[in-house]
Amino acid sequence: MSTGHSLEASPVGRSAVTRRIGSLLNAAVGYLSLPLFLLIWEAVSRAGIVNTVLFPPPTVVAQALHEWLISGELPSDLAASLARVAVGFLLGSTCGVGVGILTGRISFVARLLGPVFQILRPIPPIAFVPIVILWFGLAESGKIFLIFWGVFFTVWLSTHLGVQKVDRGLIRAAQMLGTPRLRLHWEIIFLGALPYIVVGLRTAVGISFYTLVAAELAGAFSGVFYRIALAQQNMQTGLVLGGLVVLGLVSFLADRAFAAAAARLVWWR
Amino acid sequence: MMPSQYGQAALGSAEPAIEIEGASIVFEWGGKSTIAVDAVSLRIARGAFVCLLGPSGCGKSTLLNAIAGFEPLRSGTIRVSGSEVVGPGPDRAVVFQQPNLFPWKSTRDNIAHGPRMAGHSKAEALRQADALIDMVGLGRFAGAYPHELSGGMQQRVAIARALATRPGILLMDEPFGALDAQTRSIMQDNLLRLWPRISATIVFVTHDIDEAILLADRILVMSAGPGRILREIAVDFPRPRSVDFAVDPSFLALKKECLDLIRQESRHVFEADEARPGR
Repeated sequence: MSTGHSLEASPVGRSAVTRRIGSLLNAAVGYLSLPLFLLIWEAVSRAGIVNTVLFPPPTVVAQALHEWLISGELPSDLAASLARVAVGFLLGSTCGVGVGILTGRISFVARLLGPVFQILRPIPPIAFVPIVILWFGLAESGKIFLIFWGVFFTVWLSTHLGVQKVDRGLIRAAQMLGTPRLRLHWEIIFLGALPYIVVGLRTAVGISFYTLVAAELAGAFSGVFYRIALAQQNMQTGLVLGGLVVLGLVSFLADRAFAAAAARLVWWR
Repeated sequence: MMPSQYGQAALGSAEPAIEIEGASIVFEWGGKSTIAVDAVSLRIARGAFVCLLGPSGCGKSTLLNAIAGFEPLRSGTIRVSGSEVVGPGPDRAVVFQQPNLFPWKSTRDNIAHGPRMAGHSKAEALRQADALIDMVGLGRFAGAYPHELSGGMQQRVAIARALATRPGILLMDEPFGALDAQTRSIMQDNLLRLWPRISATIVFVTHDIDEAILLADRILVMSAGPGRILREIAVDFPRPRSVDFAVDPSFLALKKECLDLIRQESRHVFEADEARPGR
C-alpha cells in the first residue's frame, strides 16, 4: 500500500526515515483527532477570547453532564427519548415496508398513493409540530407520530425501489417451482428487496433522531432535547452543550448498532 | 443405457408432451410492435430431446418462455399434456441462462424449495434435495450459498432445483451459454448422462450448433424477424453419446448442413437490418 502511495505523494529525494515518520503520524492522527479538538476548545475558552458563560470549556460541560447523571435525570431523559425513537421507528418502518411492497408490486396502488406520497415526503417533520400540538396536545402519541412520519417515507421509498429491482429471473424461478402468490411476496420479493430495505432502515435510524428534536419541541416533560431547551432557558450553557454531546453519542451508537445488526439481517452476503 | 426410452422418443407416443398451434408472440415497444414469434406450430413427443437452434433474436427463447408460461400469446395455443398453458408451473421446470438461484438459500435449500412448494414436509424435501445433490456431484457444497459457488456449480444447482419438482418437461434456455468452453463441455456430458435417469421431455434453446447436434433427437432451426421454424432436422445418431462424438465425420456432415442454413439466415437478417432506413 505505502510504496505506490508515498511515491506519488512525496517529493523526490525524501529519505526513508522521513517517510516512516510520515506514515506513523498518518496512523496516529486518527486517535489524536478527538483529544486535540477538546484541547483547542479548552484553550480557546480559557484564554478569554470568547465569553466563557456562552462558550464554556469541555471541563465545565463534563461537570454539567456528571451532575445531570447523578441527579438521575439523565437516565430518565434518555429512556424517554429512546422509547419515543424506538416506538416511532418500529411503527414507521413496519408500515413503510408493508406499503412499499404493495406499491412496488401493484401498479394500481403505486398510481393511487405515489403522487400523494411524493408531495408529503419532502415536508420536513419539524414543520408538522404546530399541527401535531393541535391534534395530539402534549400527549406522547403526538411525538411518536412525528417520528413515525419521518421514518415511514424513507423506508417506504427504499422498499418500493428495492421491490422493483428484485431480479425478474428470481421471480420466474420461484413461479416455475410452484411458489404460491402470497409466499412469493413475503419470501422472494421481501428477501430480494431486503438489501435495499436495510439501507433505508439505516437512513431512518438517523432521521428518527433528527425528528426526535422536533418531537420534543412539541412540548415534553422529559427527554434529552427537552433538557437542552430547559437548560437554555436557565442559561446553563454547560448542560446545553452536554445535551448535544449525549444526542450525538446516542445517535452515533444507534447507527453503529444498526450497521452491525444489518450485517446479520442480510445473512447470505 | 436404456435404449427403449430413446426408441419411444423417436417414434413419438400417441399424445404429444407439447403441442403448439399457430402461436404468435408480439412485443409492444414504445408504440411499435415487433412480431417475435410468428404462427409457429409444432409437436414434441413425450420423452424427446428437442433443440431450438437459431441466431440471436430469432425468438427461440421467447417461444421457450411461452411454453414455460411466462410470455402470453397474441394468438394460438400451447398445450402441455393436453391442457392449455396459462401460466408457469412445476410441471414445466426451467433452467435459465443465468442460474437465478435464491441468494439467501444454501444449495440444499434452493433444491428443496420445489418439493416444499409441492407440499412435502421439510425433512422429505431435504431428503430429495440430498439425492439430487449427489446426482449432480455437489455433495461437498450442500451448505454453500450461491455466491460461494463457481458459475458451473451454480448451474448444476439450478438443474438439480428444476429436477426436484419431478417435471414432465424440462425447459432449458441456453443453460450453458454463460460458461467457459471447458465447463460447458463437461456440463453437456453430465446432462447426457443425467437424461436417461430423469424421464423428462427436454426443450433446449441454443445458438451453438455443436451443442444442438450432440444433445438432441430433433433440431428445430428457427429464422429471425419474424421468428419461424425454418427446418426440422432429425438427429439419428445412437446414444449414449459423449462429447468425443463431436469429431465424428457424420457429426461434421450434419454440422455443415446446419451451419449453411444458419449462415444464410443470419446474413438474411443482417442485410435486412442494414437496408432498414434510419438504423
